[in-house]
Amino acid sequence: MSAVEKAVRREPVIELIGLNKWFGAFHVLKDVNLRVYEGERIVVCGPSGSGKSTMIRCINQLEVNQEGTVIVGGRRFSKDEKANSDIRRDIGMVFQSFNLFPHLTILENCTFALTWVKQMPKDEAEALAMEFLKRVRIPEQARKYPMQLSGGQQQRVAIARALCMRPKIMLFDEPTASLDPEMINEVLATMIELAESGMTMVVVTHEMGFARKVADRVIFMDQGEIVEEAPPELFFARPQYDRTQLFLSQIL
Amino acid sequence: MNNLSPPQAAHLTDIPDTVKVFVPAAARAAPSSTLGATAWIRKNMFSSVPSALLTILGIWIVYTVLNGFIGWAWTNAVWEASSRRDCLDKVGNAGACWPGVVVWIPNLIYGLYPKDEVWRINLAFALLIVWLIPLWLPKVNSKVAIGLSMVLLFPLFASYMFMGGEKGAIWTALIAVGLTGFLWTVLTAVTETLWGVPVLRLVARKFGATTAEAESRIGQVVLLALFGVALFIVFELDFVEVRTRVWGGLFLTMVISGFGIAVSLPAGIVLALGRRSKMPVISLLCTTFIELFRSVPLITILFMFNTMLPLFLPAGVEVNQLLRAIVAVCLFASAYMAEIVRGGLQAIPRGQYEAASAMGLGFWQSTALIIMPQALKIMIPNIVGNFIGLFKDTTLVSIIGLLDLLSMARAVGQDTRWIGLFIEPFFFITVIYFVFCFAMSQYSMNLEKRLNTGHKR
Repeated sequence: MSAVEKAVRREPVIELIGLNKWFGAFHVLKDVNLRVYEGERIVVCGPSGSGKSTMIRCINQLEVNQEGTVIVGGRRFSKDEKANSDIRRDIGMVFQSFNLFPHLTILENCTFALTWVKQMPKDEAEALAMEFLKRVRIPEQARKYPMQLSGGQQQRVAIARALCMRPKIMLFDEPTASLDPEMINEVLATMIELAESGMTMVVVTHEMGFARKVADRVIFMDQGEIVEEAPPELFFARPQYDRTQLFLSQIL
Repeated sequence: MNNLSPPQAAHLTDIPDTVKVFVPAAARAAPSSTLGATAWIRKNMFSSVPSALLTILGIWIVYTVLNGFIGWAWTNAVWEASSRRDCLDKVGNAGACWPGVVVWIPNLIYGLYPKDEVWRINLAFALLIVWLIPLWLPKVNSKVAIGLSMVLLFPLFASYMFMGGEKGAIWTALIAVGLTGFLWTVLTAVTETLWGVPVLRLVARKFGATTAEAESRIGQVVLLALFGVALFIVFELDFVEVRTRVWGGLFLTMVISGFGIAVSLPAGIVLALGRRSKMPVISLLCTTFIELFRSVPLITILFMFNTMLPLFLPAGVEVNQLLRAIVAVCLFASAYMAEIVRGGLQAIPRGQYEAASAMGLGFWQSTALIIMPQALKIMIPNIVGNFIGLFKDTTLVSIIGLLDLLSMARAVGQDTRWIGLFIEPFFFITVIYFVFCFAMSQYSMNLEKRLNTGHKR
């Protein structure tokens, strides 16, 4: 509970207020409210179609909500795409399908945004990228192309690529869902290290071991709503809602 | 569920302490009957009785056709004669009459372009090749700039070399800009090969520039000096005017298809992006343009531009006939190219846009740097296929009276000395078309192989 108590006193770094989103007529997100404080690690879980991915993608406005407000680092997303791009630079994102750029080498993938968005000189960008590639333990693959790497390695590159931008927040959208079982652990280990370094993280995942180990709060979503929100000890031991109990019984 | 803290594997603890070591079996060689040339022939040509019969039949057909063709084109062919009558007297119809083609070769290539001025065409194409060479040199880094400068600037001064005549102030400046691009390309290719630095930066550093800003400032001055040199050269040039009416042959075919190729790709990209745009007006305009020009045969468009456009223009304004044909071809090719580009764009997963925009890249940056390079790579076979189609489609301009390669070939048989000589010149231009199209196709394959880094597993 201490992390939450500490957090209450701080300003939230992510604030979702009254978020509503429809895909056509389908109501995907219903009045979602969420505050994430600096250094907090949030794990979001729920059955497929529950809106968890849509919610996390609203945080950096890859999905645009029709109603409600998204504020990140005190700045509010608006219609101004240039300002939005500026806010996004502080938010790193890791995707289920890695989304590395296949026509660039690993190193170029990492330096790309540094040179084009932050206008960093090439050698400086490469040095920084190598530092982060070392951190995810694949500096030796720097000159290869994404398709020459295993899924787990690709996902670790994707994490390094996001970290290169020195984001204040990291979003993970089911980062291990498309990996072979043997590779899940190497990615989780990287994420745990990142969590321990104090990064603010929002993670959509079904890896409950990860949630137990690093999460400050676990959020359970169903049918576009946040059903339950609790620290992991409480969440796994005494879920309040039947829906949460059913979900946990199915995946644990 | 997950492997970080596995408490559930209790039953596994019953396994005994001694663990067997797994040794994988060694790989063995494939059976010899499946390897080598004889095995390949047996498998692909003589695997069964019908297959063997078909093989023999196929060989017989190929032999007969080749034999007949070589007899006509080579063994029985006439190489020296002064008229078709001569040929017919010597071998009748059994052999080809090549002298007619040989005499006409200059016209097949340059049309009715004055013989004394033909060197201008040759020089312009030689310069084009020089402009292209740096694109193959491994040490040259500014390939994109060189390629772009070639596409944008070469037409400026090539058109003067082809047309000649009076040049006003603006025209002179434009020609000089084209020539500046050429000088810059050659110098950059040399300095990058020798010292690894583009010419402008090299000179700037020689003048003591240390910051990037000073480099670009001195670079601009150097570029201006190059322009001065170019201007001086252009002032000295004085070419006789050659009207486009007499342009023809392979030269005209290359001018029209060259413009078509150079314009259609960028225009196609713009149109495809426009069609996918979220702005309804732009999307509607682009879609209308594309669908309109794709739904009408090229021949109709050529006729429209040739005969109807002058009716719409104010009296006294006359647009050159060749220019009208070029514009028609460009519009038509752009519409086709737009759909090819759109197809390529659709093949790029949405995740690529998302990853780019999640890193703070704007629409234009992610489109130009992430999406297009991947999409263009996928589209190479289609794009080059379109170029090849365009190259061959230019034969249609013969219908509105331009003297392209096909028209010139037809003219041979109307020459009083070579009257009725059609097969030989057509065979000759067939070879020319084949050489050009096959070269483009091979280049495309080569390009695909070289750019294949991203998708190979």
